[in-house]
Amino acid sequence: MSLAVQVLFTGLSAGGVYGLVAIGHSLIYRLTGIVDFALGDLIGLGAFTTLLVAAGTQPLTQESVSGGWMALAIVVGLVTCVAVGAAGYVAVVQPYIGRSAIGWVAGTLALGFAIHAVLDASFSRPAYVFPDPIPFHRIGHDGLVTILGAEVHVRAFAVLGVAIVVATAASWVLQRTWFGRSLRAIADDADGAAIVGISVERTRALAFGLAGGLAAIAVVVAAPGAPFDTGSGALLGLKGLVAAVLVRFGGLWSAFAAGLALGVVEAALGTGLLGHLPGLASYRELIPLLVAIVLLAARPLRVREVVE
Amino acid sequence: MSTPAAAVRTGAALREAAVTARANWSITASAAVLAGALAAIAPLVLGGAVATDTLASGAYLALAATGLGFCVGLAGVPSLAQGAFVGTGAFAAAHMLRHTALPAEVCALVGAMAAALLGTAAGFAVRSLDPVRVAVGTWLLSWLVALSLAALPWLSGGAQGLVVPTRRLFGLNPTPLVHYELAVLLTGLCALAFVALRRGPFGLDLAAAARHRGAAAALGVPMERLRVAAFGASAFVGGLAGGLAVQLDVVADPTAYGPLLSFELLVAVLVGGATAALGPSAGVIVLGLIALAARALGSLASVSGSRFQPMLEALLLLAVLTTGGSALVPAVWDLARRFLPQREGRHVAARSGPARPAETLRAASLTKHFGPVTAVDEVSFELRPGSITALVGPNGSGKTTILRLLSGAVPADSGSIELGPNDLTTRTPAERVHAGLVRTLQARAYFRELTAREHALVGVDRTRRNGGGFRTLFSTPLFRAENEEADGRAVAALEALSLAPRAERPASELTGAEQQRLMIAAALATNPAVLLLDEPSAGAAAADLEQLIGLLASLRARGIAILLVEHNQALVHAVADDVLELEQGRIVRRTPRRRN
Repeated sequence: MSLAVQVLFTGLSAGGVYGLVAIGHSLIYRLTGIVDFALGDLIGLGAFTTLLVAAGTQPLTQESVSGGWMALAIVVGLVTCVAVGAAGYVAVVQPYIGRSAIGWVAGTLALGFAIHAVLDASFSRPAYVFPDPIPFHRIGHDGLVTILGAEVHVRAFAVLGVAIVVATAASWVLQRTWFGRSLRAIADDADGAAIVGISVERTRALAFGLAGGLAAIAVVVAAPGAPFDTGSGALLGLKGLVAAVLVRFGGLWSAFAAGLALGVVEAALGTGLLGHLPGLASYRELIPLLVAIVLLAARPLRVREVVE
Repeated sequence: MSTPAAAVRTGAALREAAVTARANWSITASAAVLAGALAAIAPLVLGGAVATDTLASGAYLALAATGLGFCVGLAGVPSLAQGAFVGTGAFAAAHMLRHTALPAEVCALVGAMAAALLGTAAGFAVRSLDPVRVAVGTWLLSWLVALSLAALPWLSGGAQGLVVPTRRLFGLNPTPLVHYELAVLLTGLCALAFVALRRGPFGLDLAAAARHRGAAAALGVPMERLRVAAFGASAFVGGLAGGLAVQLDVVADPTAYGPLLSFELLVAVLVGGATAALGPSAGVIVLGLIALAARALGSLASVSGSRFQPMLEALLLLAVLTTGGSALVPAVWDLARRFLPQREGRHVAARSGPARPAETLRAASLTKHFGPVTAVDEVSFELRPGSITALVGPNGSGKTTILRLLSGAVPADSGSIELGPNDLTTRTPAERVHAGLVRTLQARAYFRELTAREHALVGVDRTRRNGGGFRTLFSTPLFRAENEEADGRAVAALEALSLAPRAERPASELTGAEQQRLMIAAALATNPAVLLLDEPSAGAAAADLEQLIGLLASLRARGIAILLVEHNQALVHAVADDVLELEQGRIVRRTPRRRN
């Protein structure tokens, strides 16, 4: 029982981040009909920019950053994320939409690897400990609380909470604001949206950046819990993509739910909750990936793939 | 068969091949031979500047990139899994070398087969033409292989990798130089295969499918099969490169085959030129220069150069993409062509295809529902040889849906379609074209950069029997004989639609009316018994219309059964033998008209 509770909360916490990345992938696919292979690295960029502003590239102790400074760092990280994402869209995606698949695939990949390489060259240590925006270690027993006999990190709740708040905010923006209505109009019919006066390309560019920013917020909360390296962003992008594929780039909440489910399944496979099959734990990342590939092969992404 | 007779025939075939080769010898071939010769002596020239084992690794990379060209260049498919195929080949070969006493070449071949198996499966999985599925699927596959190697020590030998025993290679001591020359030779062979396939039916059909999938499907191009083959071939070459390179490296490194390798190979192909046989190799040379630059940058900043390399590669690709610049080899080639004499187009006499028996198409009780809407409701009719039946009716009355049911683009809910004695009801579009039922699309659906002659050849390809990949690769006598015939039939189809003078023009340079006729010519080249035409008068001026009337009458005179979906009343009046009026999916009136 206690193991199940622990797996559930660890999984949900990781899954919250996956869910936000999945929302980003889903949103971009619905808006533009393409998949952004740079999304994961864009998230990494947001996280590392935050780190750079908060603490530089030097080793740091967890308490060496003040709250105000940290808030500024997060804002700078987000703004960088949005700016680079939007610029990337204008430079390497927009010219190729609907014209050359090889163009946008290569363009987003190159953008992702370029970001990764810049991070790699600037942050040369193998892994980084992020400063904590919230002093979790002061809550409970050094950051741990006991629930139903299981010791759970307070951070897990915070990450999940932040993820839910961000997802709710995104949903509110989509449903209630002019920007959100523009996004939905473009997803529905880009040509029609252009006719009624929506600036399609500007809106898409902004969405490209915001998609990365969404997940970067959760990453900044989650990252201090474990070492974060320059490749972690790309891996998050992959997990989000797997979750988005599982629900065929569906709506916001189904993408989020798929991310949560992916997190829990990985945690369950990793801790041997599903019986102690020998070596099952080493397959925890491989099994969801394989399932996603099989699903992708079995069903078309859109309800109707237009082939004459 | 007596041996001397066979020998004489083989000799004759070889002589003929030599004559053909001499006749077709071009400046391109000379350039390619020169490039090959330069590559072969590179280790001697570069001597101490670059270590031979680095050159050999680069040459294997060029082999893998040339393989990726089959996917990207021939099929126009963005495959992101070539690194995974190289890795599969490397580890399969490494395990074979460790656990069996088989020769080194056999182990490499097993690696290539393993990769080809994975590639064929991947190709099958993403065989639909949706590029998003192809890109995402191959990307996930690339991660799957990378993460498997990281997570499964029994597969990868853990963090240290697998140490591979060295064995003699083709009876030679496996020095880096031997590996290098072998890699160059294989890359050259692979580039030759690329050229042969690109010129043959395989490459032409894939090129057409990449440019307009709907039009290619309507002409009966078996796109899915071709794409699976392109994926398999691509993976085979990648796996072979991996299986041999791992013997050069002596250790199979589980971290070397990640998404970064797939990306680098894609950069090589796109920067060098996906559509040129030597483009990927040129791209790999550029990557090599980048590695040198990265090392120089790294020593300036006192960091390892490997940190800068992916950045420079990504920036190079971004620069090529954002400036809309063309890739290296095609750019050089375009430049060179300005200074070279142009070769005259060879005159080909028109030839008629094999006679096809005149057959009647019978559609009985065809019905199709889209959700609650009945688009086609119990429609029955006959199309007789040598007659033109017009299908008219308001927008949304079901005309195009009937065409799509007949061509097999959408399955009918009920009813049957028979052509002569053949029941086509459940056949695929490609099988229907083969049986003699072909359709043209509404609007201007053509293969942009392909010439008019190539459009007609795509149609002719449907009736070829000796145009398979194997015969194309080895340019067998049967293949060459059939090529001659195919060229002649393409000319005949273009002449029938008054397009012969435009044969060498790209379709995008033709007028709208010519483009419409071009797709009819391509359909005619499939040697059909029944021709389904969707609005052939769209965009036609008055003069074009006169011409179209004459052309349709001449097609009728050949004994072809024609179904004409048309809004233009003048055209219908001028040519139709029967008029079917459609309203809300039902035939409400049948008007037999006397032929003039």
